[in-house]
Formats: sequence, C-alpha cells, structure tokens
Amino acid sequence: MDSAAPLAWLIPVLPLAGACLVGLGLISFNRTINRLRKPIAVFLISCVGASAVLSYTILAQQLAGAGATELLFNWASAGTFNLEMGFRVDPLGAVMLALVTTIALLVMVYSDGYMAHDQGYVRFFTYLALFSSSMLGLIISPNLLEIYVFWELVGMCSYLLVGFWYDRDAAANAAQKAFVVNRVGDFGLLLGILGLFWATGSFGFEEIGSRLQEAVAGGSLPNAAAILLCLLVFMGPMAKSAQFPLHVWLPDAMEGPTPISALIHAATMVAAGVFLVARLQPVYAPFPQVQLVIAVVGTITLVLGASIALTQMDLKKGLAYSTVSQLGYMMLAMGCGAPVAGMFHLVTHAFFKAMLFLGSGSVIHAMEEVVGHEPVLAQDMRLMGGLRKFMPVTAGTFLIGCVAISGIPPLAGFWSKDEILGQAFGSFPILWLAGFITAGMTAFYMFRLYFLTFEGQFRGNDSAIQATLLAAAGKAPAGDGSHRAGQHASQPHESGWQMAMPLVVLAVPSVLIGLLGTPWNSRFASLLDPEEAAEMAAHFSWGEFLPLAGASVAVSLVGIGLAVAAYALHKLDLGQVVAARFPALNAFLANKWYLDDINDKLFVQGSRKLARQVLEVDSKVVDGVVNLTGLITLGSGEGLKYFETGRAQFYALIVFGGVIALVALFSVLG
Amino acid sequence: MDANLPLSAASSLSGNWPWLSLICLLPAAMAPVLMLLPGDSNDPRLPRSIALGVLLADLLLMIWVFSQRFDGSSSALQLVERVPWVPSLGLEWSLAADGLSAPLVVLSGLVTLLSVAASWNIHQKTRLYFALLLLQASAQALVFLSQDFLLFFLSWELELVPVYLLIAIWGGSQRQYAATKFILYTATASLLILLSGLALALSGDHFTLNLSELATRSPGGTFGLLCYLGFLIGFGVKLPMFPLHTWLPDAHGEANAPVSMLLAGVLLKMGGYALLRFNVQMLPEAHVQLAPALIVLGIVNIVYGALNAFAQDNVKRRIACSSVSHMGFVLLGIGAVDSLGLSGAMLQMISHGLIAAAMFFVTGVFYERTKTLSIPNMGGLAKVLPITFAFFLASSLASLALPGMSGFVSEITVFLGVTSNGAFTVPFRIIAVVLAAIGLVLTPMYLLSLCRRVFFGPRIPALAVVGDMKPRELVIGLCLLVPTLTIGFWPRVAIDFYGASTTALASDLARHSLVALGRLPALG
Repeated sequence: MDSAAPLAWLIPVLPLAGACLVGLGLISFNRTINRLRKPIAVFLISCVGASAVLSYTILAQQLAGAGATELLFNWASAGTFNLEMGFRVDPLGAVMLALVTTIALLVMVYSDGYMAHDQGYVRFFTYLALFSSSMLGLIISPNLLEIYVFWELVGMCSYLLVGFWYDRDAAANAAQKAFVVNRVGDFGLLLGILGLFWATGSFGFEEIGSRLQEAVAGGSLPNAAAILLCLLVFMGPMAKSAQFPLHVWLPDAMEGPTPISALIHAATMVAAGVFLVARLQPVYAPFPQVQLVIAVVGTITLVLGASIALTQMDLKKGLAYSTVSQLGYMMLAMGCGAPVAGMFHLVTHAFFKAMLFLGSGSVIHAMEEVVGHEPVLAQDMRLMGGLRKFMPVTAGTFLIGCVAISGIPPLAGFWSKDEILGQAFGSFPILWLAGFITAGMTAFYMFRLYFLTFEGQFRGNDSAIQATLLAAAGKAPAGDGSHRAGQHASQPHESGWQMAMPLVVLAVPSVLIGLLGTPWNSRFASLLDPEEAAEMAAHFSWGEFLPLAGASVAVSLVGIGLAVAAYALHKLDLGQVVAARFPALNAFLANKWYLDDINDKLFVQGSRKLARQVLEVDSKVVDGVVNLTGLITLGSGEGLKYFETGRAQFYALIVFGGVIALVALFSVLG
Repeated sequence: MDANLPLSAASSLSGNWPWLSLICLLPAAMAPVLMLLPGDSNDPRLPRSIALGVLLADLLLMIWVFSQRFDGSSSALQLVERVPWVPSLGLEWSLAADGLSAPLVVLSGLVTLLSVAASWNIHQKTRLYFALLLLQASAQALVFLSQDFLLFFLSWELELVPVYLLIAIWGGSQRQYAATKFILYTATASLLILLSGLALALSGDHFTLNLSELATRSPGGTFGLLCYLGFLIGFGVKLPMFPLHTWLPDAHGEANAPVSMLLAGVLLKMGGYALLRFNVQMLPEAHVQLAPALIVLGIVNIVYGALNAFAQDNVKRRIACSSVSHMGFVLLGIGAVDSLGLSGAMLQMISHGLIAAAMFFVTGVFYERTKTLSIPNMGGLAKVLPITFAFFLASSLASLALPGMSGFVSEITVFLGVTSNGAFTVPFRIIAVVLAAIGLVLTPMYLLSLCRRVFFGPRIPALAVVGDMKPRELVIGLCLLVPTLTIGFWPRVAIDFYGASTTALASDLARHSLVALGRLPALG
C-alpha cells in the first residue's frame, strides 16, 4: 500500500472546502441554501467522513511502523527570512487525527437530530465543518507558528459556536468572554513563540528544544529566561485547556448548543492545549521548574473543577467543571514528564466525555419538550429525575460514562487516570494525594449527576420549582401555565436514532479503549513512544500496581457510595449538612471560588474604566493641546476665528493656490 | 550607486506608452465631463454610472499594467516617465512605480471604485459628488507615483480638496467642524512637508526636486534630523500618529460611509507610504537614529488607540480609533528598520486598507437601514440582518488579526521584525514587543463588544429595519474580503510585489546604521 502521509494535507482541506462552499452559498443565496438542509448536511458529513477515512489510513500505517513525514513550503519571506508552513504526520498526530474525525463525525450525525428544528441548521453544519478543518490543521502543524494560526482559528470557531444563538444575551457574553480569555492566553503564547524564535531562530519543536538547551548550556541565554519563555508559551495551553486561572471561559461556553459542548468544549479543542504541551516535550523536558509549574497548575485545576462540580445544579455546567477537572489531570501528567499518560487520558476522556455531553444534550432535548426552550429550566437537574424510564438508551450510556470517568476497572477512565496517578506518585507525592482525593470527588459528583437526572421521580412538571428557578435567574415567567400546557408534552421521550446511535457507538470505546493502555502491555504507549512502552512493561510489577490501583478504586467506590446514600437512597442530605456545618466552604464552592467575581471586578470593570479615562484625556487634553499648539503657531487666534465662523473652506486652498501660483508664475517667466 | 536610477530625462517615454500618466489622469479628465452633464443635478444615475465605468477601467488598467509591465522581483523604479514641466523651477512630470507604490496604487484604485459603488443612495448634488471622487482617484494615484517632490506635494494638496468638500457637504450634523478640523490639521502638516522638502532640495550642490536624486543626498546631522522631524509630523498627521490623531474620529464620525472608506482605505496609507518614501529612503541616517522613537510612538498608537476605541459609543468613531491602533503597527514596522519590519509595515497598510474599508462599508450598510450609529441604542440586528452581520463579523475578525486573514500576516511580520532586529538592545525589544502585544488583547475586546452590542441579543423593536444586503452590496463586501482572505492564506501574492523594494530599503538602512556606529566609512 502506498503511503497516505503525503495526502495528509487533504484532511483539513476537505472540510474547509466544504465549509467555504456552503458559507459562500449562505451569503449569496441565503434562502435557497437554508432550505437544502439534508443535502448540505450529507455533503458536509461526507467531507469530514473522507477526512476520517484518510485519518484512519494514516493511523493504520503509523501502527504498521511508517515513519514520521514532514512536508514544508515557503509561505512568506522578507529578505533572507523565510516563513515555512506545511504538515507533518507522526504517531501523536495520527492518534489525534483519528480521534477528532471520529468524534466530529458522530457529533455531526447527532446534530442532525439535535438541531433538526433550528433555523440555523445549515449555518451550524458549516461551522462544524470549519471547526473540524481548523482542529485537524492544528494537529498536523509542523511548527509553532502554524500551530498558532490554527490555534486562533479553532478559537474563532468556538466563538462562533458559543454565540450560535446570537439572540440570547448569555450566549453573546459567553462567546466574547471565551474569545478574550483565550486571547489573554494567546498573548503569552505569541510572546513565547517570538521569544523562542529570537533565542533559537526556529519555530520547529525539536529544533527549538535542542537549540534552547545549547543556548542555556553555552551561557548565551540565562536559565531563567529560557524558563520564562517556556512558561509564556504555556499560557496558550492554559487558556485553551481551561487551566486555573484562565478556566473561567469554559463553563460559560456551555451557552452554545450541546453538540458543540461535546465536540469542542469537552473532547477536542480544549484538549488542544494538552496536545501542544505534548508536542513541546522536547522543549519543556530539560527544565524541571517548568515541569513543576505545569504539574502544580494542573493539580490546582483538577481540584478546583471537581470541587465546584460538587454543587452545580445545571447538568451541563456540572459536566463542564468535570471537564476542567479532567483537563487538570492531563496537565498533571504532562508536568510529571509523562506525555504518553496524559495523551492516553486525553483519548479516553474524549470518548466518554463526548458521550456524557451528548447524553446531556439528549436529556435537554427531551426536557425542552416539557419545559420549553429555556436553558434555565431545561438544564436544571432540580426539574429532572426519573428520566431512565423515559429514555433508557440515554440513561444506560450516561451510566457507562459515569463508571468510566469514575475510574472503575475495566472501563477506559480507570487505566488512563491510574497511569497518571501512578506517575504523579513517583514524581510529586503531594500532587498525587490531591489527584487521589479528587478521584473520589469525581466519582461522587458524577453519580450525583446520574441519580439527580435519571433516578427518582420526574419533577419537570412542578411549576413551583420552575417559578423559583426563573426568579433566581432574574427572568420573568415567560409562558404562563396555560400557554405551556398547550404547547408542551407532559413527559419526555427518548431521542431519535440520529442522537441515540452516536451515544451507543461512543459507549464501545468508553468501555474498551482503556485495554489498549494496560501498564503491562500498553499498545498506546508503544505507538507514541516505543522505548517508554518497553520500559513500562519491563518495570511493571503487580506489587506496585495493585496497591495504588486498589486505593484509586476504593476512593472512587467511597465517592459512589456517598452519592448513592445521598441521592439514591436519600439517607443523608449532604447539601443541608455541608451548608449548615461549613457555610463558608459551601459559599466558596457555590460561588466558584469567587473567581468570576474577581475577574469581573478587576478586569472587566477595570478595563472599561481605564478606557473611559483614556478617552476623556484624549478628547480634553490631547485634542486641546494639539489644537492649541496648532493655533498658536498659526498665529494668534487667526485659526480660531476660522474655526468658529466656518469660513475655513478656503484655508487649504491658500497653500495649494500659493504653490499653483508659483508654478504658473515660473512657467510664464521661464 | 546610481546604477538603477533613471539617468537622463531625455530617455523617458521612448518606445513606451505612458501607462502611469494614463492611470493618473484618466479619472480627473472625466471629472469635468461629469460636471457638464445635462439634467437634474440631484439625479444620481448617469454620473454614478460614468464614475463607475471610468474607475473600473482605471482599475483594470492598473491591474494589467502592474501584472504585465511591472517586475516585482526588482527594487528599481519602473515604468519611468519624465517630462520637463517647468524647467526654471526644476519641476518635472515624473512618474514611476516601485514595490512601495505599485500595491498601494492598486489598493487605492480598488477602494475608490468600491466607494463609488457604495454611494448608491447619494441624492444631492450628485454630479459634483462623483466628480470629486474622480478627482480624488487621480490625486491619490499621483501621490503614490510621483517621483518629483513638487509634483508629489501638489497632488498631496490636491487630494485634500475633494475630501474636505466631501465631508463638508455630504457629512453628518457636525460636518463643518469635522471638515475644518481635518483641513487645519492636514494643511498645517503640509507646510512642514513643503519646508522639509524644499530644504532638502536646496541642500546639495545643485537644486533638484527629483526624489531619486534627493535620496542619494541622505544628509545626516542636525539638518537631516530637522528635515526628518518635519516630514514625520507632516506625514504623521495623515497616518495618523499620536498625538496628531484627533482629527480622525471627528472626520470619520461625520463623513458618510463611502468617504470613510476612502479616508481609512487610502488616505491613511499615504501617510505610511510617504514615511517610507521620504523619511526612510531619503533620510536613512536620521531614521536609524530616530527609529526607537518611532517604535515608542507605534506602541502608543496601538495601545492608546485601542483603549480609546473601547470607550467610544459611536460605531464609526470606534472603528476610527481602531484605525489609529492598527496604523501603530505601520509605525512599529517602519521603526523596526529591518526587512521583516518594513515588509510587515507595507503589508499592514495594504491589509488595513482592505479591512478598514470593509468595516466602514458594512457600517454604512446598516446605517442606511437603522439611521443610527449610537451603540447603546442598538442591539439584536443579527436577527434581522443576518448577512450584514456575517460581513461585519468577518471584517471584525480580520481586523483583530485572525489568522487566515491578511491582518495576521502583517502584524506577525511586524512582531518578528521587532524581535529579530539586532540593532536594538534586548530589553528594549522585550518591552516593545510585550507592550505592543497588549494591543492583541485589547482589539478583540473593543471589536467583539461592538459586534455583541450591535448585532447580538434580542431584537430591539425601536430599530425598524427592512431588507438585508442587496446583491450590489454583497459584491462590494466580497471585493474587499476576498483579497483579505487571499493574502491571509497566501501572503506571497502581495509580498512578491513589494518584497524586493522593502528588502533593498532595509539593506540601505543596515548600511547606514553601520555607518552611524562607525563600523563602516561613510560613502561619498
């Protein structure tokens, strides 16, 4: 078989071409294109499908031992400087390509059901294709600058999709917040890229790594400067992968349609930061301080996400904070110098978290039939309950997801999370402890979500709760009772096959994919890093593995047990107990560590105030001083007179006419 | 060192069509024809069609000439035309193009044509309006192509008249104030340009107005610095450079959208072009000395302009302040003195010309429908004008330097230029890059909040809006966005045009900075 690697550029280009075509059509023949819903969906799905086929071919060839391929061309140049772009295919990229195309494809099929009644159906598919293209481009980027290009493009797609329902104020705010917070991270990323370019004269990962080390060893670059540059670059992944304190955008981004939350804000784009850190291992590895910072940031994030998830009442927000927490685990792995473990968790998490989000979308879709298109009502678990009876497929797959993320063997999450915890135990025991306790919290909050949503009695028709929720959100009760009764069903229904099928498909890897990464024979590791895989297998001993793994499983079981006691058997009311005993802690968690408030006070209000002051200075001081200087030089208020009387039409003509007259005079004389 | 200069005036025009003269004079020649048209002076149809036809022909001519008769891989002046005009003054009709002028001429041709196409709803003194636009087109082309200082200055002044009248007659309620402020600022600046230029012309052993000959003088010392400052202030007003920028928000706030397209798309570029042509090319020694000051001014422009934009409550004034911010990158690139910096500055001019014109154009599209530009009074427009929204969002994203659009390439090139230039100390470069990068965070703040407040959110019933973009408006929008995307994806379509010129300019500067450092003996 010929190598498919030279065709890898087609992987991002196919969906891009499709998106451009449909986008142009949407602009030029809006109504016609908007009516061609199914054909366009099929067309764009086939574009992404073709990319998926190509991606799997490449993955198969990488598995069979094909080497890395890189192709570059000259994109821009100035003087002797050439800026190169191109693509590279290697095991790390191949894994990500297959992952992203798979989930994108499933999410697109799912969206056909989820967005069926939305006016923006075609636009939604166009954005999805555009996003897939940007994300795939990011994966095959051979250098930091090209990564930055696609990095920003996926950010733009995220902006467009979070703000997809642009008539909702909350969505508009969330979209802007997502973009600006990511730009703050990109500010660091760009400075880091520029600095590394200055220090090493290159944008390539390996070249930067080796030359940076040489420069530090040779004394031409202080060690502190190299560390600073590495950390600046790390700011990009911090924002994209929602690491503390730049995670604030991700929970808000749940304002986007739920398929987007699954694809972009759980499985793929937010993992791009982790992916970039894995790509940058040759740069980061020689600097233990950088590794430590990454590990600590990851640990803070994983604790923060899980602790806030404990109190969330919004189903999607709960999952979003869970994503923040899991991304923290991946970052912790990167900081422990175990990129393979981090990437493995990225892959397993992508499958089960995408499934969980799509499941939540299925729930919300069903809830909307009962409570109407009001996110405050449709996503709140206080109105759910007992949904397992109505939607068994969704409930079953959601339960599988909960077990997988909680780390119960042999499901996917167990293997990957346990590998990270094992690595952390070896590198930073304190951070391991935090990760270990958080594993218990994870199991607790996930099963809390499950029980509140799917077990017990259905509460969706309780108008008292609805009124309370609307009042808490500061919204007027939009449709009164009679209106709602006329329009909505009294009980939810299972979603159609377009939505159920992806759930079932994703359940398979959620259960099984972990078996590819067992510590004694990790096929995943042997693909990404054969040496490390061999080392892992050689050093593996049941005596080391079993106590740690057993402890993780035990802490997860404790978490599940607590959740069962509190939310299934109703033996203890944790909410009441915690709120009464530790009011400060409760408030701290309910207010999301007060980070949103700090962010709003310090940065949002602060920047607005600063801008207003600058404008005031501009209009009163700068304008005035320049005008005054000009007038004084023009000669004692003559100009002022023109200003006031408006007779200055001819002022310009004085200079102009003067020169003309001069020319004319000389022509005559000459 | 004069090898690539046109040596003799007599050799001009021989065996060659005066293409550049044709490009420059065609629109102006048709302007009087327009004025003499019979019929109702408020009927736009005939004058509009003629203006469109003339400018389209002119643009096609430009594209043909610069693609067929112009070699982008050479930094020399090409298509040279030199005819003595007033010998006793030394004034020549001297036109030529190099990499600095060619792309900007085409840009100005495109933007002027589109601004005529955008002036569909002018119903007042239409013959004068379109005649002024034609005159403006000629003056602009002359500014970019003149190789004689006096000719350059005359066209520089000539171009003020149409703009002044276009603002003063067809502008908003405060048009008189804005037009007067514009003319006072630019006319004062013109005096400084004239003084500096004449001082240079008189400085050598013989009087000359030819720009190439003036460039060989490159005086240093205090005299050079004074000339440099004169030019800097003179061209800085046009750019506009802090603190001389305050005319711009007023002018944009009052001008109608097509005139704003011209202001942002072409006029500001004259400032940047002239800085390259005069300050950098003629006074390299002073430029090398003052480059750090230019970098500082560029940073102030970027950050200060962005903060101002964030606080503006009027759509057009906000975009005007964003122009101040983006033109700061031109200053930054010019100050970076290496080939990357100059290349970035050049590309930023082209890119900003397209993007700012697009933003003002789309603003005009929804202003014609909403009749308001006050941001607090708007909201929810996306629901009723989805395609306008798409165009505005696309131009905003282009403006905030999204990769895939031209603004990204130019700004990243400028950043690389400042970073990699060994002429500055490392701490200076670090501070410069960090401060300028703050602009990258501020830009999405003011642009996306503009989009959010105007287009997002629930529909406001008070805004009675009918009808999304018409096919004509679609075409105009696409004519601006397609080049932006093309350059963003494949920047060499633009860079290959001017790259040789900016590289030559940079190597000249490098020689002078070595002279200034005493590492090379001064030549001549």
